[in-house]
Amino acid sequence: MPTFRANLLRGGVRQPWGTIVAFLLPAITFYVALTAYPAVRTIWNSFHKVLPRREEFVGIANYSELIQDEIFWKAVRNTVTWASVSPVIEVTVALLLALALYAKVPGARFLRVAWFTPVLMSYIVVGILWMWIYNYDWGPLNVLLRAIGLGKFAQPWLGSPDTALASLIVVTSWMWVGFNMVVLLAALHSLPKDVVEAAELDNCGWLAKLVFVIISLIRATLLNLVVLSFIGKMKIFDLVWITTKGNPLWSTETVSTYVYKRAFEWTTFDLGYPSTIAMVWFVIVLGAVLLLTWLFRMREKLEY
Amino acid sequence: MPIVTRTLVLLALSLYTAFAAGPFVWAAMLSLRTTPEIHLDHFAFPNPAHWEKFPDAWFNSNYATYFTNSLQVVVTAVLVLTIVGAMAAHCLARYRFRLNRIIYFILFSTIIFPPQITIISLFQILVNYGLYNSKVGLTLVYVALQLPLTIYILESFFARLPADLFDAARIDGYSDWEIFWKVSLPIAAPAVATTVILNFILLWNEFLFAVVLITDEANRTLPLGIQRIIGDTQEDIGMIATGLMIAIVPVIIIYAFFSEKLIQGMTAGAVK
Repeated sequence: MPTFRANLLRGGVRQPWGTIVAFLLPAITFYVALTAYPAVRTIWNSFHKVLPRREEFVGIANYSELIQDEIFWKAVRNTVTWASVSPVIEVTVALLLALALYAKVPGARFLRVAWFTPVLMSYIVVGILWMWIYNYDWGPLNVLLRAIGLGKFAQPWLGSPDTALASLIVVTSWMWVGFNMVVLLAALHSLPKDVVEAAELDNCGWLAKLVFVIISLIRATLLNLVVLSFIGKMKIFDLVWITTKGNPLWSTETVSTYVYKRAFEWTTFDLGYPSTIAMVWFVIVLGAVLLLTWLFRMREKLEY
Repeated sequence: MPIVTRTLVLLALSLYTAFAAGPFVWAAMLSLRTTPEIHLDHFAFPNPAHWEKFPDAWFNSNYATYFTNSLQVVVTAVLVLTIVGAMAAHCLARYRFRLNRIIYFILFSTIIFPPQITIISLFQILVNYGLYNSKVGLTLVYVALQLPLTIYILESFFARLPADLFDAARIDGYSDWEIFWKVSLPIAAPAVATTVILNFILLWNEFLFAVVLITDEANRTLPLGIQRIIGDTQEDIGMIATGLMIAIVPVIIIYAFFSEKLIQGMTAGAVK
């Protein structure tokens, strides 16, 4: 059946410009006014000192200040750690859970709902809940540790610079594993049945089957999820803002929270410098995403 | 699978289930208990269940205001998004013109923008136009924020509709607008429902733009309100838990009724 896209390519439909403009105008207005123009203005800001009543051109001064800004680099390290660790944990755990559901463990329907639910809650709700879970005196985690005789490991999880970042990474994994699991389950169900059955007949061990057959078949989905999780963690703000605000000792500061602090919390009142951070970070994120996609493509070529 | 492995796998899955669902169950229990009760034992079953805490939280803090604000902003934004997004998606899928793919790509590519790239200037712009700290301003920003994803999901659906359908409608004398409103949109109802549900939940939970663009108590949305409440009443765990449950309930109701649609929407971008 010929679809519109086919028609588009074939051509032959006249171009009613009036109608086209009428249909696109609202969307384009929103795009120009509230996405494109702000983005351009951020570039402009990044070369200026932007105070409430006056603006002053400073050239690349903001950029050179950024290079020496130790808090910025600390925030970059934290964010990059988060964005590299999270995808690995999330996708691995999610794959194992999805395989369990695919193999039809008892109660699969209930389990799928239970595992998926965390992602429906906002970071605000999740943040408060986990502040309680990590509470030193009565938080379930420490209570559990004390109950099984590991009381010496009990600590203020979000209050200590050594454990705060790791504790927050656990929270985002808790939230997002379910989402990844649902996507992977959909990918597994779309696999051709005969391939999986053929592997069964060949009497491969289940581990071999998993690694050589299933993973290679759903690789595209796995890689998409890794990139998606990576992007999500590179811009993480809400959870940190609700729980630690970057404390203690910058140990959970992320680039997003630092931009916010410099723009709206610190009494420097300058919007130029935080715009510079946003610009540099955008370029880094874009570069990293392109690099990831390119690396994955390369591997694909090497293996075939 | 040998029985030992099987047992171990089931044990691991049960532990994970407790880990995934436990916090939610615990919060639900806390929401039905008073703070003094909670201080006696943080993990006891709600006995008796204090259902009156829900109306209490609703009326004695500004919860009703926050909830109404969120509802106003999110419902309006989703409504505008659906119409504006569907119009653009229909046009990009239906008409052939020179800039078609370029416009589609430009609109779609903003999906990877980190929010910081626009948020500082949006603050400046809204201040300039007197829309800072107003629900109207926040609503407009929300529309712009979710537009790329909405157009992406709807365009891919519209593009799969058979062209004959529209030729037939045109022969029947339908105008371009009628074709969109009476043919395209009704057929696309499942895809539209997906975007509506997805946008509703994402915006209901949105925090960063709200925290930057809203300051007045009277204009706070629910996430800001909750943040305010925990700031004011650090110690009143029982009441905060009740507040959290009120914030979760709309999302849970939507999930209960439309879980398949919601999952379709969330996975639309992830599975090719």
